[in-house]
Amino acid sequence: MTAATQRPAPPRWTGERRGAIGVVLLVAMVWSISGLDVTLDRLLGAPSDAWAILRQMVPPAFARVAARGAVGKVFESVYIAWIGTVIGALLSLPLAFMAAHNVAPIWIRVPIRQLFNAIRAVPELILAVILIPITGLGPWAGTLAIGIHSIGTLGKWATESIESIDSGPIEAVDSTGGRWVSSMRWAVFPQVMSTISSYWLFRFEINVRASAVLGMIGAGGVGSELVSHLVFRDFPAASAVLALTVGMVLTIDTVSAAVRRRIITGGVGGDDSSRSAEALSDLTGINHR
Amino acid sequence: MIRLEDVSVTYPGGVEALRGIDLTIGDGEFVVIVGLSGAGKSTLLRVLNGLVPATSGSVVVDGTEVVGASAATLRQVRSRIGMIFQTFNLVNRTSVLNNVLMGRLSVVPAWRSTLGLWPAEDREAAMAALERVGIVDKAYVRASNLSGGQQQRVGIARALAQEPGLMLADEPVAALDPVTSRQVMGDLQKINRELGITTLVNLHFLDLAKEYGRRLIGLRDGEMIFDGDIANVDDDTFRDIYGRSITDEDLLAMGDSPTDGSEGG
Amino acid sequence: MTPTPGQSTRPERPRLRARTVGIAAALMAFSIFAAREVGFDPSTFWEVWSNPLWEKFWPIPWDWVFDSGNVLQPFVETFQIATISTILGCGLALPVGFAMSSLTTPNRPTYLVSRAVMNVVRAVPDLFWAKLMVTAIGIGAFAGAWALTIFSLAVMVKLFSETVDGADPGPLEAARAAGGRHAPSLRTGILPTVFPDYVAHALYVFELNVRASVVLGLVGAGGIGRVLEAQRQFFRFDRVLGMLVIIFVVVWVIEQVSVSLRKRLI
Repeated sequence: MTAATQRPAPPRWTGERRGAIGVVLLVAMVWSISGLDVTLDRLLGAPSDAWAILRQMVPPAFARVAARGAVGKVFESVYIAWIGTVIGALLSLPLAFMAAHNVAPIWIRVPIRQLFNAIRAVPELILAVILIPITGLGPWAGTLAIGIHSIGTLGKWATESIESIDSGPIEAVDSTGGRWVSSMRWAVFPQVMSTISSYWLFRFEINVRASAVLGMIGAGGVGSELVSHLVFRDFPAASAVLALTVGMVLTIDTVSAAVRRRIITGGVGGDDSSRSAEALSDLTGINHR
Repeated sequence: MIRLEDVSVTYPGGVEALRGIDLTIGDGEFVVIVGLSGAGKSTLLRVLNGLVPATSGSVVVDGTEVVGASAATLRQVRSRIGMIFQTFNLVNRTSVLNNVLMGRLSVVPAWRSTLGLWPAEDREAAMAALERVGIVDKAYVRASNLSGGQQQRVGIARALAQEPGLMLADEPVAALDPVTSRQVMGDLQKINRELGITTLVNLHFLDLAKEYGRRLIGLRDGEMIFDGDIANVDDDTFRDIYGRSITDEDLLAMGDSPTDGSEGG
Repeated sequence: MTPTPGQSTRPERPRLRARTVGIAAALMAFSIFAAREVGFDPSTFWEVWSNPLWEKFWPIPWDWVFDSGNVLQPFVETFQIATISTILGCGLALPVGFAMSSLTTPNRPTYLVSRAVMNVVRAVPDLFWAKLMVTAIGIGAFAGAWALTIFSLAVMVKLFSETVDGADPGPLEAARAAGGRHAPSLRTGILPTVFPDYVAHALYVFELNVRASVVLGLVGAGGIGRVLEAQRQFFRFDRVLGMLVIIFVVVWVIEQVSVSLRKRLI
């Protein structure tokens, strides 16, 4: 508390920087809207259009869509997601062992990592677009699309969990004169299996949504029902299909999250508690600490 | 029989871990290696089974040259050398028996071990190894549920399951409390005497070294400072090896607070 | 305590628990059933290679792809959709996200209602929103922007409210203790702490939106997907492949930029 302390000037440029960001956002908005061919009456009309449709959606025509087999279509979406996840899991697991830098030589891991990246970049829907001419319309196209796309993310996640293991047991296997396969099977696999299987379940949750969407282009599942009702502007039926889908998605999310929690806490070791947070941060690329 | 001739190890980055080591160890010996951390103790053990490749010189274990050996030869050599680690190096998430069975990997065909179809005689070898270290009752328990001392015994059993002619122990008691440390050292001594397995143990504690060792090797900055009968070792010898006077921390008995007490009972 | 060698006896090999066997059998049975239901057909894996359609994928007509009107313009539209919906969705997510965290919610009913509504909104897949909007307000990018705004809001509030949940409540308590009203207290007590995360999440949502807006066109909601769908219907798979390559590169670049920006923020 000496008298010599002066009041400092506020740091320069803070206000200017904020202003600049604001201008950038504003320009971005104007530029974006300019491309959407929005007219004033469309903009003002949209909420009332949406509201009108929303009113027509109540009450949902459950009995009518059930009679058409919508429930079966909902289950078909689950089957597609499940088999797609199984395909992705089975194909990605061995690949992940060849992609992790602590267990695989560079000549194999670099191409496999790039394969994962390439697969991740192509959405399921686009894969299905390419596959449909080959497999024909139907659930198998959707299943394959989901299976292939899942290899990318599941492979990446599995690689990362292999890379975070304790390397001691690998050294132990090496010191007994074991082969590479043996050290993968007995030193690495037991360490990563619970984490990886919880990733599989997590991916299944995502795939359930994806498989619902795939139906919209004819690749099996509930999406086709929604599209056909919306095309005929049968809004009570559409809302019933929507409600069934939402119910299915929420149920699977809840059950799967509970199972994942059990898998993770069933494992031993203090570092496990953070694994589900890790899964989320892997998905988002953001660290939630 | 182990023979090292002018063995040097330089790590990538230029650190010289070992310089010109000449050493012969006969069958059935119990050798204790002491030195400060960074003196090259761990490197010396790992040069013997090729986990660390020697930069120059010759390492011959039971008539096989390890330096520059092919992968298959190295596996062959390693299958006859058991190794015990400071941090146990167990797979925590699987059973004790599975950990011990890892000692049989070099003799079981890869497809059988990969599928977990261990032959009966290999299961028997693993069980017998567990019996020898006195924890066969824990065979089906998860390794993580064991105390530190028990975990190190599993590590010893895994090495014994290899039916090795040579046992390398890299600071086997550094993570254990004094009482457990003595038990583990006693196990190693018994194995050496009863099975005639040549045993090399890295130790930090001087009193343990004197208590259990017969032959002592002193390393300092990668060079061999002392090699001889432990009976001829006195405080001056240790001063040479450590480059300073002995402190309480160098003695297990005096250090009431164990280095890292992870032993539960 | 620790047994001495020779004292302990061999244990029985534990039998597999009935529950474990049951779960494994049930999963197996479900997988087999589901595989039959989806028409599982492993022959596709090798038949794929001999499919005559592959010839239609090659060679990529690069002059067509780089002709500005064909791909570039719809791609700009895709970006416009992604940009406006990220800005709107993330802007709305700020108040809604605060309402959805127990730390910052104004009152319990708001908390419960906002969580329930947002859970349901998030359970609707993004392209369902797009199709709904296309039906409600007509084909085009406008509908796509609406759909992605809703979708971004749903994703963003989840990420953001979780960040707020984990924030240090101390400053907020101090602001309230000083007699601040609800909104100003949040502004001074919480927002500075969570703002870097907020921006990072927003960048992530932008990334998601670019990916999603690529496929919006398949259901008539504008952007590059519209061209993709049209070329597919003409069986111009070479053009489809060329566009996929462009999409791949652009999405990859955006991801790299976004990831490195996010790393710097957190």
